[in-house]
Amino acid sequence: MSQEPLPKLDLRLTQENLDDLYEHAPCGYCSCLPDGTLVKLNQTLLDWLGYTREELVANWCLQQLLTTGARMHYEMHCAPLLLLHGQVREMSYLLRRKDGSTLPVLLNATLLRDADKPLVVRVTLFDITERRKYEQELLRAKTQAEDQSVQLARANEQLVSQNEQLTRINADLDSFVYTASHDLKQPLHNMVGLFRELKRTATFHDPEAEQLVGMFDGALQQILDTIAGLTEVVQLQRMLEQVPVEAVPMLSFTEEIVRSLRERLPEDGATFDLDFSAVPTLRLTRPGLHSILFNLLSNALKYAAPGRPPHVQVRTAPADHNHVLLSVQDNGLGIDLERHGRDLFQLFRRFHPEVPGSGMGLYLVNRLVHQAGGRVEVASTVGEGTTFQILLPR
Amino acid sequence: MDVLKRNNVSVSGTGSQALVFVHGFGCDQRMWRLVAPAFEDRYRVVLLDLVGAGQSDLTAYDPARYSTLDGHADDVLAVLAALDLHHVAVVGHSVSAMIAVLAALREPTRIDRLVLVGPSPRYINDAGYTGGFEQADIEELLEAMDQNYLGWSGAITPVIMGHPERPELAAELNASFCRTDPAIARHFARVTFLSDNRADVAALAKRRLPVLIVQCAHDAIAPVAVGEYLHRQLPASELVVLDTTGHCPHLSVPQATIDAIDQFLAAARTAEV
Repeated sequence: MSQEPLPKLDLRLTQENLDDLYEHAPCGYCSCLPDGTLVKLNQTLLDWLGYTREELVANWCLQQLLTTGARMHYEMHCAPLLLLHGQVREMSYLLRRKDGSTLPVLLNATLLRDADKPLVVRVTLFDITERRKYEQELLRAKTQAEDQSVQLARANEQLVSQNEQLTRINADLDSFVYTASHDLKQPLHNMVGLFRELKRTATFHDPEAEQLVGMFDGALQQILDTIAGLTEVVQLQRMLEQVPVEAVPMLSFTEEIVRSLRERLPEDGATFDLDFSAVPTLRLTRPGLHSILFNLLSNALKYAAPGRPPHVQVRTAPADHNHVLLSVQDNGLGIDLERHGRDLFQLFRRFHPEVPGSGMGLYLVNRLVHQAGGRVEVASTVGEGTTFQILLPR
Repeated sequence: MDVLKRNNVSVSGTGSQALVFVHGFGCDQRMWRLVAPAFEDRYRVVLLDLVGAGQSDLTAYDPARYSTLDGHADDVLAVLAALDLHHVAVVGHSVSAMIAVLAALREPTRIDRLVLVGPSPRYINDAGYTGGFEQADIEELLEAMDQNYLGWSGAITPVIMGHPERPELAAELNASFCRTDPAIARHFARVTFLSDNRADVAALAKRRLPVLIVQCAHDAIAPVAVGEYLHRQLPASELVVLDTTGHCPHLSVPQATIDAIDQFLAAARTAEV
């Protein structure tokens, strides 16, 4: 292996003048008595400060070259540290020049002792003008970040308290609805009984009376249905708060609902197409999922197009990384979304007055899906059918 | 709560009277290293770290509690109570001179005499009073502190403040000499340099408690004028000006400091006999 020849050194470089190295080093040097009195400074430092050697040596002390704030810090932190520990490192201070301007420096100092007695302090100072600018920038950013984090915490607190308030109001509302529907039930049942008694005992002579009696019966039934629906919403809500979320096997769960629906609506020859192979289970509460499926499937049967046996497809599919999709598609009447889209999930809204219903179903579905952290999307064509797509967290 | 642990209290020496040393701003009880041992043969010597300094329990630093010097004065009294000490002499340096004054006012039977080393009842100049500093100087000091803690403050402080269950973080900070949590240091600096204890000094004057003022001849933090002001305000005080530069005579001229304290305590004892 051949060795590279060393570059030829100019002899003058190997014998560098130590005095010149001290005087014109790329950093400031000074030596002080233990009390800080300056005894020696290099030319670099004098040039930085704008003082002559005569002005400073034996007349000034190191601390007087610092700004007042830096001097206070030096007296309370560096001076004791030097006496106790013999050195200080990387203190960031501002030097005060003769013309009043300041120079940011990093100060290192060592205390030399003579037979245990403090003798002299050697100090090196590095110009950190540029670095200081970055540091100021960092400090500003840090202060800003701290302020923002305080503001965020405050905003968060507010949100939490508002959330608590809303939750309380919601609970109060539920409780109000429950009480109101409960209190209405008794007089209503009385009305039903009284009316039945009236029909039995009274004789109406008006030819339109029979029709009016029928309309009154219908109206009574509607109020009873509505109140039953309200009670169901509140009871379901209370139940949901007590049962756990679990992975519900979709196929058996849905088949059970289909079976119960066929018992209630046996006549229509409906067909169901269930496919949960892509996502076999959904994480929900059982009563919540039951209510969602029951309402969507019974709607599909109730709002079937005349002369066309209902055909309902129920599927699950992965949606994205965090969500799964549950879709229910029918071939029924369809809904005019242009007209009713905005009201679709409102309580007591009905879009097919010719078919009996309480206007609760979709309201309940939407509410349950929202509570589970999901959302409901609808696509529909009048005369062809409706598809509900429910996006649920995995 | 174990106050002896909280304030990292160490007790040494033997004697019927206790001598309690309380360090000032910027360091901890190690500041007394050259002075305290000289009293161990005649006194019970008690050293402590103020909460927020040295090896004290940093997690005990509640900014509200320590928003005035009274919180620290309460701590000193709690230490005295825990050690069942009465009629003690308290030696307080710098800000702790005023902490000692506050403690003496609060529990007269605990504290018999005071040694105030480099004391100042108010650092900022006021009408008819020279403290040595303007408000702007104090802001500059806080800025100098910020600059010097830049490198390690942000990462560590929020962690410690938010995790009292992780004492190893505080220990890490304490390992560095005379350094502490920068947020605490900044808060303590603000409390120290913006405090005005002239009324407390006036209250102490009525008590005629023996007080020694140890003043450095050339002190940029507590100038001679401030020492003289205190001497005038406290009729039962004695003023000793030591020929030294700086704010820490117990480090720069430890023997002279020892002698001054010794003579004061001896004279007080003789007066009692």
